Amino acid sequence: MSLVKTPKSTFAQKLKRFFMIDLIKGMGLTLKFNLGALTDKDAVAGKGIYTEQYPKVRPDVAPRFHGAPRLNMDPETHDTLCIACNLCAIACPEDCIDVIPMDVEIVVAGKPRRKKVLDEFIFDTSRCMFCALCQEACPTSCLELTQDFELATYSRAGFVWNREMLEQGRETVKYTS
Amino acid sequence: MLLFAPIDVLNDLLLRTGLSSDTIKFFVWPLIQIGLVVTLVALWVAYATYLERKISAFMQARLGPMRVGPWGLLQPIADGLKLLTKEDFIPDKADRWIFFFAPYIAVASAFIVFSVIPFGPDWAVIADVNIGLLLVLAVSSIGVLALILAGWSSNSKYALLGGLRSSAQMVSYEVAMGLSLIGALMFARTLSLSGIVAAQGADSIWYIVYQPAGFLLFLISGIAENNRAPFDLPEAESELVAGFHTEYSGMRWSLFFMAEYAAMVVVAAVATTVYLGGWYFPFVNRLQLSGHHNLYVLVSLLVFLVKASIILYVYFWLRWTLPRFRYDQLMDIGWKWLIPSALINIVLSGFAIFVVQALNGWRGIETIERLDRGLNLSATGKGIMIAIGLIGLFITAALLSRINWRSRDFNLKVQRRNIRLVNVPKGKPAVQAGS
Amino acid sequence: MHQVEIATTQETLLDSPEMVLNMGPQHPSTHGVLRVVLKLDGETVIDLDCDIGYLHRGMEKIAENRMYTQIAPYWDRLDYIAAVSNGLVWVETVEQMMGLVVPPRAHYLRTILTELNRIASHLLWLATHALDIGAVTVLLWALREREEILKIFERQFGARLTCHAWRVGGMPNDAYDDFHKDVRQFVNNFPKRLDEYETVLSENRIWLSRTVGIGVISAEDAIAIGLSGPALRGSGVPWDVRKSRPYAAYADMDFDIPLGENGDTYDRYLVRLEEMRQSRRIIDQALENLPDGPVNAKLPKVVKPPVGDYYHTIEAPKGEIGCYLVSDGTAQPWRVRVRPPSFINLQALRQMCIGHLVADVVAIIGTLDIVLGEIDR
Repeated sequence: MSLVKTPKSTFAQKLKRFFMIDLIKGMGLTLKFNLGALTDKDAVAGKGIYTEQYPKVRPDVAPRFHGAPRLNMDPETHDTLCIACNLCAIACPEDCIDVIPMDVEIVVAGKPRRKKVLDEFIFDTSRCMFCALCQEACPTSCLELTQDFELATYSRAGFVWNREMLEQGRETVKYTS
Repeated sequence: MLLFAPIDVLNDLLLRTGLSSDTIKFFVWPLIQIGLVVTLVALWVAYATYLERKISAFMQARLGPMRVGPWGLLQPIADGLKLLTKEDFIPDKADRWIFFFAPYIAVASAFIVFSVIPFGPDWAVIADVNIGLLLVLAVSSIGVLALILAGWSSNSKYALLGGLRSSAQMVSYEVAMGLSLIGALMFARTLSLSGIVAAQGADSIWYIVYQPAGFLLFLISGIAENNRAPFDLPEAESELVAGFHTEYSGMRWSLFFMAEYAAMVVVAAVATTVYLGGWYFPFVNRLQLSGHHNLYVLVSLLVFLVKASIILYVYFWLRWTLPRFRYDQLMDIGWKWLIPSALINIVLSGFAIFVVQALNGWRGIETIERLDRGLNLSATGKGIMIAIGLIGLFITAALLSRINWRSRDFNLKVQRRNIRLVNVPKGKPAVQAGS
Repeated sequence: MHQVEIATTQETLLDSPEMVLNMGPQHPSTHGVLRVVLKLDGETVIDLDCDIGYLHRGMEKIAENRMYTQIAPYWDRLDYIAAVSNGLVWVETVEQMMGLVVPPRAHYLRTILTELNRIASHLLWLATHALDIGAVTVLLWALREREEILKIFERQFGARLTCHAWRVGGMPNDAYDDFHKDVRQFVNNFPKRLDEYETVLSENRIWLSRTVGIGVISAEDAIAIGLSGPALRGSGVPWDVRKSRPYAAYADMDFDIPLGENGDTYDRYLVRLEEMRQSRRIIDQALENLPDGPVNAKLPKVVKPPVGDYYHTIEAPKGEIGCYLVSDGTAQPWRVRVRPPSFINLQALRQMCIGHLVADVVAIIGTLDIVLGEIDR
């Protein structure tokens, strides 16, 4: 322990040290917290209890939260909004998106045309780092990261989501007690 | 009272079974008392763990156990069940029999002490031996043996080091613990714990008023004896994992855990008995005088439990507020402060008795010799005692300051240093704004 | 794997005067997967060696195969506690290399959120440091304050810890609706909380005896080793990148930098506490003077800095973090090198620990405030 410079203490400081005021002050604060936990309701600015009893109380998740991915559908026609442009797969740093398009025949102004639509969409949530680059890349706001954060499954295969899971959502058990 | 009818009914039943009344009085009833005390202490220890978790949680602005039972009240039972069902794991090269026995020695030494502690007046103490306090100190020293055996038999570097450090700490603080009690013993003039309570009752004062320094020294050495914060370096997680009980798991570990909490309760109980008046409380005596004997005993028991729980609360309070001492600082405190202070306390107590006698005249000595217990002081006598008690506290604090001043570790002449705030001129920004 | 210079010998415990102790990668107080091999004489440390690399993930190599915008989420994982600062050094390097002009509103919001991140990182430092020394209650209290900051991050960026906060050219989204209210509430509540921590710790004789005179490093040694951040300022050297080479909106902010005197653990503790107060002051000013406008600069279609190299540093909570970027004109960088502050600060560990007891090693690792994510990358 090398000696370090300490300034000379005043008499008041010596007295405080003699009567162990430093220890008593610290213990007084803990006592105040102990009593405050029983009486104070304000947890953020006061001494109340800060615990959120999950899973009984579900947390407030922010609207911008990067959670589970979802493929949005048109609310009226219930068709997918995805145009199979593959921009999300290109944007993803982790290569977890696989967009499989297919060609369909449509008629535009009387002439038959081929249009690329989405066939299958594979999203590997185990590789995903929830950076939301795919959400930003999507031009039609189809791919969106929702507020769902409970993504655990019982098998590795359960992490790889297909189009149906992305559109309908997954069946999860929400424990509330 | 109907509540206590079972005691008389049981007594009649036993008499009817044909055993001699001596056997019943000296064998059967103590067995029943032992059963009750062991159950009570085991429950107390279990719920002390629950209370520690709850109190520490409230101090930290959180809730603590809430899921098992209402408000988490069944948590100790859940913990016990979990530990019972764990695998019984003995390390490969460990010394099997010593490894097996060490936890039992620890628990036994902690629980045997409860046979002499007076929970209440008559039937609430199992064995009122007249060397009760000596027995308490001696038997709780056996716990140190358990520590060393556990550390040694685990065949692990960390466990051995932790065990050695813990036991060295405990042995150092036992000296201070014993010495700090002598001051109060001078006033009570008996080693029997029930006698000490009766002495406080006879003087109708709690000895903490006469011996504040003694109480403080006893409490501090008791906390260090139990390896509790702020003296818990040997078993802190940031150190050598878990000290002597690193290799223990399941029920064996829980026995060590129970032994630690039981030792805490022992120190709390002894502090209550010697300094806080034990089961004595000013107006409870009237219950006995009005004839409700069993109720008197029960209320006294409750008084005792409340007082001991307050000291347990102080244990928890200290653990969760203060940082922990480093090992050499810990030993410094034990040897360089507590023992000299305890010795000075003894001298001062003797001096106090002498002064009180001198000021009351020679009649004082005769009074003391004729009295059964206590000192029987007049009001001036009490005033003088209290004054000298405060002087003792002052001397103890002065001794601490003086020792700190000379020690290279506590040589901190000021409690807080102020740091400088400088506003250096700003350099060129990395990129000009707007360019 | 690095061969440790102190060998673990097979001599029996009680024969030799020296003992080699391994504070292994799994240890409650080494702040991550750090292995410290100690050579002890009794309880005094006579030699020390660190073994790192347990968290090496090859980030700099990964960066050579990703596009510039894709690298930003990886950079959060360097110093995962101060993800916003790490993201800032990356985007600022790329922006400055490309010559992009970031709008002032983005600069101010970056300043506010980076200072909030500084407070969050220092709160976690305080929590773990106090936990190692024994004051467990401060851990819980500091984490409660940090929770408030993480809620603000969640509402603003979408993630609490590894935020992916910034984009090249600005921010992805403007401040959310309640941003002013939330940050203002935090700023108002914070000084009282800091006073609470100080009440329990700063004058406590046990805390003082555990931290005063422990881990002393002089100013000359600190500069020679290359320390930065609060470790350097605790020794009295007035170097802060926010003042020397201001970035973001720091040129407009009025704040002081705290300097210690002796370079011991207690000084670094006081310096960090005071830095939290100064950060609060910066956030206050920035919130008051927040300009309006866009939060994004106009970007070309593909982010391609010109050929060449560039080095940029900012003041991360742990020290001076730097990013050296070599670009070959394509959409992926040629080489990225991070100057990790914790790696360089860790070099001082040996000098600080020799002569102290084993219990102090834990306190010194805590006071250096290292994050293994940064050291190992």
